Parts: sequence; C-alpha cells; structure tokens
Amino acid sequence: MTDPRMNDGMANDRMVNDGMADDLMMNNRMAREALRYLGYGTQEADEDTLGMIRECFAQLKRTAKKRIVYRVFDLHLGEDGNIEIGNMRIESRSLSKNLKGCEKVILLGATLGVETDLLMKRYSCTDMARAVVLQACGAAFLEEYLDGSQQEIAREMAEEGYYLRPRFSPGYGDFSILHQREILSMADTARRIGLTMTEGSMLTPTKSVTALIGLSRKQEDCHIKGCEACQKTDCAYRR
Amino acid sequence: MLLERLGKELLFFDGGTGTLLQEKGLKPGELPEVWNLLHKEEMVDIHRQYYEAGSDIVLSNTFGANALKFHSTDYDLKDIVTAAVANVREAARLGVHDGREVFAGLDIGPTGKLLKPMGDLSFADAYAAFREVAVMGEEAGADLIHIETMSDTYEVKAAVLAAKENTGLPVFATMIFDEKGKLLTGGDVPSVVAMLEGLRVDALGINCGMGPTQMLPVLDEILSVASVPVIVKPNAGLPKQKNGQVYYDVRPEEFAEVMVRIVKKGACLVGGCCGTTPGHIREMVRQVKAEEPFPACIPPVRKNHTIVSSYGKAVFFGERPVIIGERINPTGKKKFKQALKDHDLDYILKEGISQQDNGAHILDVNVGLPDIDEKAVMVEVIKELQSVSSLPLQIDTVDEKAMEAAMRIYNGKPMVNSVNGKQEEMDKVFPLIKKYGGVVVALTIDEDGIPDTAEGRVRVAGKIIGEAEKYGIDRKDIVIDVLAMTISSDPDGAKTTLKALRQVREKYGVCTVLGVSNISFGLPCRPVINANFYTMALQSGLSAGIINPLSEDMMRSYYAYRALMNYDENCEEYIRQYAGQKTAAPVQKASGLTLKTAILKGLKEEAHHAAREMVKTKEPLSIINEEMIPALDEVGKGFEKGTVFLPQLLMSADAAKIAFAVLKEELSKKGTDEQKKEKVILATVKGDIHDIGKNIVKVLLENYSFDVIDLGKDVAPETVLEAAVREDVRLVGLSALMTTTVVSMEDTIKLLRKEKPDCRVMVGGAVLNQEYADMIGADFYGKDAMQSVYYAKELFAGKNDKKNDN
Repeated sequence: MTDPRMNDGMANDRMVNDGMADDLMMNNRMAREALRYLGYGTQEADEDTLGMIRECFAQLKRTAKKRIVYRVFDLHLGEDGNIEIGNMRIESRSLSKNLKGCEKVILLGATLGVETDLLMKRYSCTDMARAVVLQACGAAFLEEYLDGSQQEIAREMAEEGYYLRPRFSPGYGDFSILHQREILSMADTARRIGLTMTEGSMLTPTKSVTALIGLSRKQEDCHIKGCEACQKTDCAYRR
Repeated sequence: MLLERLGKELLFFDGGTGTLLQEKGLKPGELPEVWNLLHKEEMVDIHRQYYEAGSDIVLSNTFGANALKFHSTDYDLKDIVTAAVANVREAARLGVHDGREVFAGLDIGPTGKLLKPMGDLSFADAYAAFREVAVMGEEAGADLIHIETMSDTYEVKAAVLAAKENTGLPVFATMIFDEKGKLLTGGDVPSVVAMLEGLRVDALGINCGMGPTQMLPVLDEILSVASVPVIVKPNAGLPKQKNGQVYYDVRPEEFAEVMVRIVKKGACLVGGCCGTTPGHIREMVRQVKAEEPFPACIPPVRKNHTIVSSYGKAVFFGERPVIIGERINPTGKKKFKQALKDHDLDYILKEGISQQDNGAHILDVNVGLPDIDEKAVMVEVIKELQSVSSLPLQIDTVDEKAMEAAMRIYNGKPMVNSVNGKQEEMDKVFPLIKKYGGVVVALTIDEDGIPDTAEGRVRVAGKIIGEAEKYGIDRKDIVIDVLAMTISSDPDGAKTTLKALRQVREKYGVCTVLGVSNISFGLPCRPVINANFYTMALQSGLSAGIINPLSEDMMRSYYAYRALMNYDENCEEYIRQYAGQKTAAPVQKASGLTLKTAILKGLKEEAHHAAREMVKTKEPLSIINEEMIPALDEVGKGFEKGTVFLPQLLMSADAAKIAFAVLKEELSKKGTDEQKKEKVILATVKGDIHDIGKNIVKVLLENYSFDVIDLGKDVAPETVLEAAVREDVRLVGLSALMTTTVVSMEDTIKLLRKEKPDCRVMVGGAVLNQEYADMIGADFYGKDAMQSVYYAKELFAGKNDKKNDN
C-alpha cells in the first residue's frame, strides 16, 4: 500500500507563502494531495478523515525538521544520450530528454528528518489509521516544501541567467535508483542534512527526496508535469 | 604526552583539507582518501603547511576511510590508512622547525549511513567498521583518535566504543550542531555531552556545520554542561555557492578574532573545518598567542549535574521532580507476563507510549521473567522502545549480562537499576558504569540487609559512593534509593524513609530515587497512601519517583507539588491539566451506539463501551460472529467497491481491535479457551525499511482472528524460514517497496520453497503486480490489504475442509 512516489519530486504546483487566504489555499492543496495518496482519487472524504488530515499537518508542522541541500554541477550530454556529471555517468533516455539543452544541473536532497519517521512508527503501534494518514500527509508536506524551495532556487539561478527544468528523481522512468549513492555523496547530504540511504538505495529518513534539476539558458515551456509525464498510466495514484 | 597537556595548555588543530584538495585537482565524486597513495607529496605538503602554521595536532586524510563509506576495488583500506598516518608524520618531520611536541591524529568521520531502527545499519556493523580503522590507525602510529562531524549519537557511540575498546589511544569526539544547538538526528547539547562523557572521551566538542560566530551560543551551552576539555573547529563561515562552486568567505583575520573569543570562553582545543586554510590557522595561532592566558587554557570546570539521556532528550535530576514510569515490568501483571511470553512487543511499546503521554520523563524497563532469555528480550525491547519514544530509559535488571548488553546498545546515557552496598554487586555493576556511562540507582542495602534506621541507610549510601569513587565514578552519577518499606508491617517505615531521604541529600548532596508504591503494600485503597507519601517524599528531597504515571492520584500529587513549589511557572501546566475538570472522576456516558455501528463508523471509545455492555447479556463468541465479523465484512466490501477508503477501513479495524480486547478478557475470565488461531507470518523483506503496508495487513488479519507473527522490517530470508519452521506456519506474507528489494522477496520465496514447501507465500507492495508476483514465484498477489485477508481466509478454510475430508 505504500505510495511509490514517496521519494519522487515531480509536483509543480506553486506555493504562496504570505497571507491567511493563501495559507488556506496551500493547506487545501496539500490536503487534496494527501487524499490522492490515500486512494481517494477525486472523491470527497468524510469529516473524520479530513479532521485527521488537518491534525496530521499540524503535527508535521511542529515535528518535521525540513532541510534541503543542493549543489550545481557542470553537465555533459553525450551524443549517444549519455549523461556525465563530475565522476557520475548516467544512462537514461527519460532523464537525457529532460536535460536536453541544459549546461548545468542541480543535485538536491531534501528531508523531513528522523523526527517524522519516529512519529509514524509511533502511530503504527497505537493508531494505524493515523499512521497511514500521517504517511500521506508527510508526502504532501514534503512536496510542498520542495515546490517552495524550488521557487527560491529558481530566483537564485535566474540571477545567473539560468532557467530550471522540472525536477527528476532516481527511480523515475529509466533513471536507475542505483545512482542514489553518487547523488547523496556529491550533494554531501549526509553531512549537511542527515540524508543517507540503505543498501537497497532507499532514502533514510524515509520522508526524503533526491532530484536532479537541469539548468538551461533558454526558458522552456514545460506543460507536462511530473505525475502526468510518467509512463505508468494505470497507476492508482495518478493525478 | 597529549593527555598530560590536555585541559592545561591550549592546543591547536589543523584546518580543512577538502578545499585544498579541490584546488590541487580533486574531482567531484572522487575519493579523497586515495590521494594518500596517489598524490603523496601533495598530501604531505598540505599537512606540512598546517604544522608550519602552528598546529599541534594534524589529522590524517581518513575522514571517509571506513569499510561502509570507502567503496573501492582498486585500493586496500589498510594501505590507505597506513599511508595517511605516515603522511602526517612525514609532514611533522618537514614542517616542525621549533622542536615542539606535535601529534598525528587519526581522523574518523561518519559512515554516511543511518543506524537502525531508522536506517539499515546495525550498531554492531557500525562498530566493526570503526574498529577496523581505529586498529589500523594505531598500528600506523597515530597519537590519538579524532572522531568528528558526527550527527548521530548512536553512531558516535559505536565509534567511541570501538576506539576505546580496541586501542590504547586518547579519543576525542566532535559533533555537528545547528544554530539551535541540535544534531541532525534531533539530539541536544546536554544529551550529547552526557553520553560522550559517560563513555569517557578525553575531549569533546563541535565542528563543521557553521562558522565561528554561529557556534558561540552552542559553545556556551556545551561549556555549561561539559566537564572535559572542549574542542571547537568551525567552518570558515556558512557554505555559499557561486557558479557551481561551494565556497566559504570568512577571512583569516575575522576567523581568528572570533577564535580568540572562543578560547576566552573556555575552549581548550581549537582549529578549523571546511573552508579553513593554513592561512586561517596561522592567523588564529598568532592572535590567540597574543592574548592571556596563553599558553595555558581556561581549565575545564567539573559539573555536578545528574543527567540521563536518550538520543533526543536529556533529563536533569535536581529540584524539579522527575517521573520514572514503572509500568514496563511483569511483576504482578498477568497480561504483561503473557505479552512477554508471546513476544508481543506492541503491548510493551504501548505501555511505554501511554506513560510518555501521561507525563513520564524516564521509562523503567524490566523484562525479567523465569524461562525467557532476559538478555535478548531486554536488548530487543530497548531498541524497539527507542524507535517509538525519545524518553531516556532505566535499564532494570539483576542479570548483569542483560545489563551490559542493554547498556551497550542503548542510544544515550542510560539510567541503570540497580546496584547496592553488597561488595559482590558493586564489583559487577561499577565496571559497567565506568565503561558505558550511566546514572545508577544505588539501593541502601548490603550484606547485613536493609538497615532499620535512617542513619544505617545513609551509612550504606556513603559506602556505595566511596566504592564508586575508586572507579572514578562521580557521585553525580549515583542516585540513592533509601527504600520504602510498607507501613503495614513496619509502622515507622515511612518516617525512616523520609528521614533518610533528607539526610542523604544533606550529607552527600546526591540525587535520590524511590519506588514509591511499596509503602502501601497490604493496605486498602493504596493510591491514597501512595499519593500522599509521594508528596511527603518530594518535600523531603526525593529527586525522582518511580511511579505509575497512569495513576491519576499520583499525577495530581505531582502537578500540585510543582505548582506549590513554584516549579510550574504561572501554574501553567497545572491549569492545562485540570482547568475545566471537576474534582470527581467523570462518569462515562453511554453513547447508545450498537457495537456494529461503532465498528462501522470506526469509533474506538464507543466500540469499547458497546462491547462492555454487550458481554453482560451475550456470549463473546456470538458477539464476534454476529456483530463484529459482519461489521468488518461490510467495511471490507465497501473498501473493495471504493466507497470506503483506507483510513476508514483502519479506523474500523482499530475499533474492532479494542472491542476484541474486551471480549478476550471476558473469555479468559470465564476460563473459556479462545478458538485456536491460525498463524500467519508477516515480514518486510531484507533491505526494505518501508513497513507501513505490512502493518496495515497485520491489523486487518488480526481483526479476522489470525495470529500474526510480525517479524518486522529488513528481514533476512533465513529469519523468515526459521520462524516458519519453528512455528510451523502455512502462510507467509511478504512486502517490498522497490525493485531493488523485490530481489530479496524472490530469495525468500525460493528459500521457503526449498526448505518448507507446504508454506504458501502472499506478496504485496508498491512495485508489484500480478505479473511480477508470478515471475518471482509467489502464490498470491494482494493488490490491497483486504485481498490478503480474503486469501488467508480462503487458504485456511480450504485446509480445514481437507482435514474434515480425512
């Protein structure tokens, strides 16, 4: 039942930070995403579940330790579609399509910290419904955080004359999850934000994301967003 | 000698190497440690510059040289470490021109992995990796072991133990704190310092993460709790990025100015981390030398705080009362004993969580029961408790093997219960406290028994404190238990205890602890006596009561005492607890819902109440079959149809679980045996740490009366097989999240097929589908949790039919 996209980073909704109304809008959007992760699709949820979702977001706001780190690297795209970033060599058609026309690439890692894992483990023991809702809310919360951070990064990069491509995570398309180790090491995530991985390339803490973001001199109009771009069209969680 | 100078003279470390290596051509993603062999001259040159700049201690380029982080098929770790230390030595020969005594430090950095339970690296494996490099370093001629840039108390504990147990070198340890004084894994300054000092590091401190200015407040906090010399190694500011390059922009002059302040605050060892250069160190040395009291440093001040800690929290003993929750203990508890025998860890964890929710600061952990492997169970319970609660734990056992094993794997500085005045006991317990650190409960009893008088108990306390001193264990790490004897057999019992409490505090200035509820043994309405005695004991100087935090009477005493003694600012906590509450206990109202409706709606309290009402008139088994199962079936069908969603399904499951507990109690009261349950093993496969799917299936299977043997996450195929054979289980459920771990799922299935062919395997998880499940040879693919329940029901119904046919 675990959502495969816990570790992705593909949503591109915009976060607005100021004002109560905007806050409400953000919360509604996060709640909608959480419901999607819980399998509701576009259906409405009952008041009990919505109440639990609100409580879980409040709890995450108090407990989660959001941290992000990223570094910019030179990117070399070979004619055969091979991707070279420092010592890392990646073969992935979907990623090379995503990065086409980019000069540089950002490697980033973000996490909600071990505190969030502890909270989920705790509820797995006492209140499974809440554990499941917390899991979904954690995923939505992390996405929202990434979207907000990505906007900041975009502003920063704009000063240097670069535009951002949609973020792309290992394990997506044919971008092998086995590159996780190199990404973590090159972005220095263990030291900077406490983000590490297991032998099976799973991120720890579990509510974490790594991603690549291409930087190009040309602004591309990216209509296709993360979820919709995925080939797995029969996915139960598809937007 | 380093240790002789430590804490008396100021000592200078070196600065960063990463930036310098990059300047010399180290590529992103390249292993810097390889340069010890491939670019020996460049390495020696960097070290030499630091010695020339005035560093007394230069660290080897071995930050990532451990088997868990250093993945290279071309180079041998031992060659790297040996060359690295030799390079530092060579640099000392070339760079020290004034004949001063200098040191080569073996640098040990983190493994880059998160330890269990949050990650997949076991404490033992982390220990082994650190041991390997520590031993190599000592053989190569290092003068000290410097463990640095640590973010996790558990990992640093493994490293310190490995260094101390396997080498004779001085051991230093420094951690990364953020501006708020927190580790990335959540620990705070007092908890880190308490643990490291307990492990007897020779110096501790802070490095990396921030620049010198940002470190000032954290340094103040470290100095306020640390008794050993403090190390400070900042970055040259916060990392910045431009044009793809990470850089640090605090210049040597500015760096040095702040380092002077840091020395004047009381740091005894100073140096630099990322972005600092020989220029920074040279300027720092120059400016510091120009100031008083150089060459002396401000000597570390011994602190008298009694502190226990977990990875996240430190608890100080003193004026404010500390609550030690007593409920994780089988003594006199039938259900708890059963849970221990059944290996029902959830039950034990819930006891921990509910005590935490009710205000406990520390949890006592006692799992002593004849016929169980106490050492193994203690270790397991401690690990599991630490994965759901950040409260410090009190290891409560008379089995010294269990005590040591628990202290070793405990993440933090534990409380240990207990030692007493018998020589034999002190000989057993004090070496453990000396080695692992801990605050030990000392019972005032010795070879002659429990003294009748307060003076007698105070005398035993003195004897224990004196004996501890021989080991170098400070009295701040001893809390005295003057023992409460029941007043039903000893009318002066309470008076003696209270008097002894006061005297022990006055005479030795130590903290105290007491198992409060003993006082009322054999009397009716014990909470009344307990709560009043608790208040009296607090008033007489009790630092920590071992009590039941679920007892409303005890907690009222506690909150009232805090309010009365002005430990509760503006009575805030008291008001939060009791505002709007009448003094009489609230009467539970009937909701009027039937059990079936309560389960359908997923209402726990109502389900509990309805079940209680219903057992008065109906047989438990008919309640299950006529009320509960139909309700669960209805919810399950709704889930399949898409009218009920996962959270609701689980709310109903939780409500049913509570009702089941009521019925189970009723059944055992009547002496009726429960129906024999079918056993199902569940496990998240090796390499996989996402277990929420498995946990969902577990809750639902339990609803349908299956006996679930939950093996947890990251479970090796052999472990699954072993359990399947031992329990003779016919159905195993496996979950896996990613393609990388489905491989382990396949391995597990193969092993089961070979060794236990009558066992069926059902699988589930995000990346699986029917095709994939067929490919790895599973018997059944559950696309959601309910499907697994249906499969299990079908399978066992089939089995029963077969039996009937025979």
